[in-house]
Amino acid sequence: MESLVEHLQRFSELLAVSRTTHVSTWDPATVRRALQWARYLRHVHRRFGRHVRIRRALERRLQNQWGQEGASGSAPVPGLTNFQALGRGDLLLSLRLLENRALGDPDYHYLLRQLFPGPGVPDPDEEALQGSLARLARCRSAVQLLRFSGPGEKSALEDPVLKTQAELLLGRLREVPKAEAEGPSRFLSTLWDRLPQNNFLKVLAAALLLPPSSPRPQGEELEPGTPQTPGDGAQELVRWLLEKSDVLAAFCRSLPVGLLTSVAGRHPALCRAYLGLLTDWGRRLHYDLPKGTWVGAEPQHVSWEELYGRFQSLCRAPPPLKDEVLTALEACKAQDGDLQVPGVSIWTDLLLALGSGS
Amino acid sequence: MNKPSRISKKSAWQATVKVHHLFPFSKMAQDSVGFSSDYQFWMQKLSVWDQASTLETQQDTCLHLPRFQEFLRQMYEVLKEMDSNTIIERFPTIGQLLAKTCWNPFILAFDESQKILIWCLCCLINKEPQNSEESKLNSWTRGLLSHILSAFRFDTKEVGLFTQGLEFTPADYYPGLLKNMVLSLVSELREYHLNGFNTQRRIVPEKIRLLSRICIPLVTLPDIEPLVEALLTYHGHEPQEVLWPEFFDAVNEAFLLKKISLPESAVVCLWLRHLPSLEKATLHLFEKLISSGRNFLRRIECFLKDSLLPEAACHPAIFRVVDETFRYALLETNGAPEVIAAIQVFTGCFVEALEKKNKQLKFTFKTYFPYGSPSLVMVLLQHPKEIPQELWHQPLKHISEMLREIVEDQTHRSYGGPFECWFLFIHFGGWADIAAEQLVMSEAEPPEALLWLLAFSYSPRDRSLQRAQTMAEVKAVLIRLKKLLGSPSLSAEDLQAAAAESRDRDPRPPLCQQLIRRLLLNFLLWTPRAHVIAREVLTLMAPTDELTHEMTGFLDQTLYRWDHLRMEATGPRKLARELLAELRPAGSAV
Repeated sequence: MESLVEHLQRFSELLAVSRTTHVSTWDPATVRRALQWARYLRHVHRRFGRHVRIRRALERRLQNQWGQEGASGSAPVPGLTNFQALGRGDLLLSLRLLENRALGDPDYHYLLRQLFPGPGVPDPDEEALQGSLARLARCRSAVQLLRFSGPGEKSALEDPVLKTQAELLLGRLREVPKAEAEGPSRFLSTLWDRLPQNNFLKVLAAALLLPPSSPRPQGEELEPGTPQTPGDGAQELVRWLLEKSDVLAAFCRSLPVGLLTSVAGRHPALCRAYLGLLTDWGRRLHYDLPKGTWVGAEPQHVSWEELYGRFQSLCRAPPPLKDEVLTALEACKAQDGDLQVPGVSIWTDLLLALGSGS
Repeated sequence: MNKPSRISKKSAWQATVKVHHLFPFSKMAQDSVGFSSDYQFWMQKLSVWDQASTLETQQDTCLHLPRFQEFLRQMYEVLKEMDSNTIIERFPTIGQLLAKTCWNPFILAFDESQKILIWCLCCLINKEPQNSEESKLNSWTRGLLSHILSAFRFDTKEVGLFTQGLEFTPADYYPGLLKNMVLSLVSELREYHLNGFNTQRRIVPEKIRLLSRICIPLVTLPDIEPLVEALLTYHGHEPQEVLWPEFFDAVNEAFLLKKISLPESAVVCLWLRHLPSLEKATLHLFEKLISSGRNFLRRIECFLKDSLLPEAACHPAIFRVVDETFRYALLETNGAPEVIAAIQVFTGCFVEALEKKNKQLKFTFKTYFPYGSPSLVMVLLQHPKEIPQELWHQPLKHISEMLREIVEDQTHRSYGGPFECWFLFIHFGGWADIAAEQLVMSEAEPPEALLWLLAFSYSPRDRSLQRAQTMAEVKAVLIRLKKLLGSPSLSAEDLQAAAAESRDRDPRPPLCQQLIRRLLLNFLLWTPRAHVIAREVLTLMAPTDELTHEMTGFLDQTLYRWDHLRMEATGPRKLARELLAELRPAGSAV
């Protein structure tokens, strides 16, 4: 068991190195060893697939690495994240090495000979790896071909690119060690700091809108002992958003209005938070008598038009959401004295503008 | 008029099949000019195709995909023997050729082309580049390989940063993206389908046509299957077919070679929309039936069910095409027993499928059998299982009378001639077999109706005189056989004598002889006393290969029928099995 764990560790280090310029010091023998280790781990994966005890032990070790690498700040995610990854170690390693320009010519040449031995390969493992790589190439060209057919739907609800990123995100979230309750939150915060934020927000929205039984991105079968809780990922996201007010503000401010309405419809907690923000923003506006309209004190404040647009979208949503929004507006209006005169309470004016006879 | 010998039956049938080209792309053109000229040819093509972004280039690329793949294979065989420098010397423009291939997504998407291309590129890598030229070549080749395999290519940089930031590889991202793109396109197609004109986002015919073209190289990729299915079952409101014909060809071929699995509804749509595909599928089945070995009705049934043709044939249009092909084969092979057996099994599977679909499809039987009188069809369709065994003589008599009326009626040809009649009848050939059994089993004098029925089924072209003679012969043999039952001992010679033709008459026509052999075998099976001498009798018949073949066929057919009718018949069954096992060549058992 110990030697197995040692192998795991060495391979993880190897994976980390395989992306760096350090590979320029390698020689073909190193490449051979690396591939052999990867193959060994594939055997381990096959052999101990049903062995719950050993799997658990290995997974625990892998999870420890999350903590280490996260602390060292090198990457938010370790190279091998779970037991399943052991079965694909050779694929991971191969792709990294193929992409690494620092890998010397003799090493690259050797690598290609190993990965692509040609037709009629007797070794089933080699054939499997060659097949996976060929399939990947085919899959990529399929994506390119399908793109020919035109842009199609671009709303985040259906945009395949966003949806795929969302699935990947939830997949990773599932793997974050649950040992500490803070694990997922910390992970998400790290991502927020490192990744382009605009895109990240859209992906969050798409993830929150995925159907509840979203399949795992790599089609892994259920491991024995893992509870199938697909809703968990989304819950983690909601929790984190509610914790981080700055992210929440950015989320609600920069995403398209219709998208936010959909999210609010799905997640009651977020709906309340959104409404809270909207009321805050509303309160910052004051009535400009000469202009005859509501304006903000500062240019970055949300404008009347924008506020109205958001409420309009919310009121177009189906019942539970729509009613909740109207109730909230009525409550605000009541707080302000429940007057029907325009220009005094922004909530009155909003309700009037929305034509809320419905 | 005697029938010609049936020796070349099999080759006649094969000739029939070969007339229709099954697979237009099956073989590379017989090129006697050599590899270099191929190279020039493909180099030119690739330049014209460029990135295959126009309709013409896409169409032309798709037409050439299998042949180009063959060329790539040949090229790999040539390249792998050389080292990088030799390759460049010998084929200075190879870089261009390979690059253009890389940039044509239709080629990369097809079958194994991407794999072979990668092999070729690997041959270009220099282990130890000696100068800057060689280094540059290496670098350039690595770039191409990266383009195909490992690079992240995205519309926006942010997506790349996101995916890599989460430590995902192209192997995680692209399959997921493909799946989601397919889902999105499928729902676009389905939405139009459901909402008709009312939907806001109506998918335009151009897009559907384009999608069908794009899918041509991809049909064997499992991830694409939902999209293929959605395209096949898409019914727009355009008057003409909107899908590309090569798309149907590609899907059909993949289906026949079992490289794609489609639900029955999609396959039926395919065949209804594209007649050549249906024809190919039928001929493919025929080829399988020929080469599958002789006289194994169970196996034939498996092939038939596997092919989905019986289920699809619940649509009269499809049934008519398949039936016509059977008719053609029957005529070409002069009524080969293999074809007749296939028709019977097919009809059985078809009727079974029809019963299952009873709620959904309601066509009158006339649509399936326009050449037969509807009342005759109704009687033939009755399943013997639903009638008590002792009452079987009733429908038999009825069938016989109806057939006789049509056949012997010279004046009114409302339902075709004797051949049409006979063709219809052999679909339900089980009735003839039952008639033969009844004749052998019953104590009474053989009824004229049954005799006529049997004579007709074996020899439909006979004139009345000949038929009457056959009937008389058969009757005489039956009476002789039954007389033997009265005697205390039963010997093989006695039986053989009873069945033999008399010396003072004209020799029996071959079909009549065959019928009598059939009755003799029936007699052996159904007479418990005769079981012990069964083998002796067979030996005395001095079976040639062809005769053995005939008897094997008869036994196999009988057992098959008994299984389907769930007849107990333990004694006869046991004997039939044993005889079948002995007659069949070793190692060819089902």
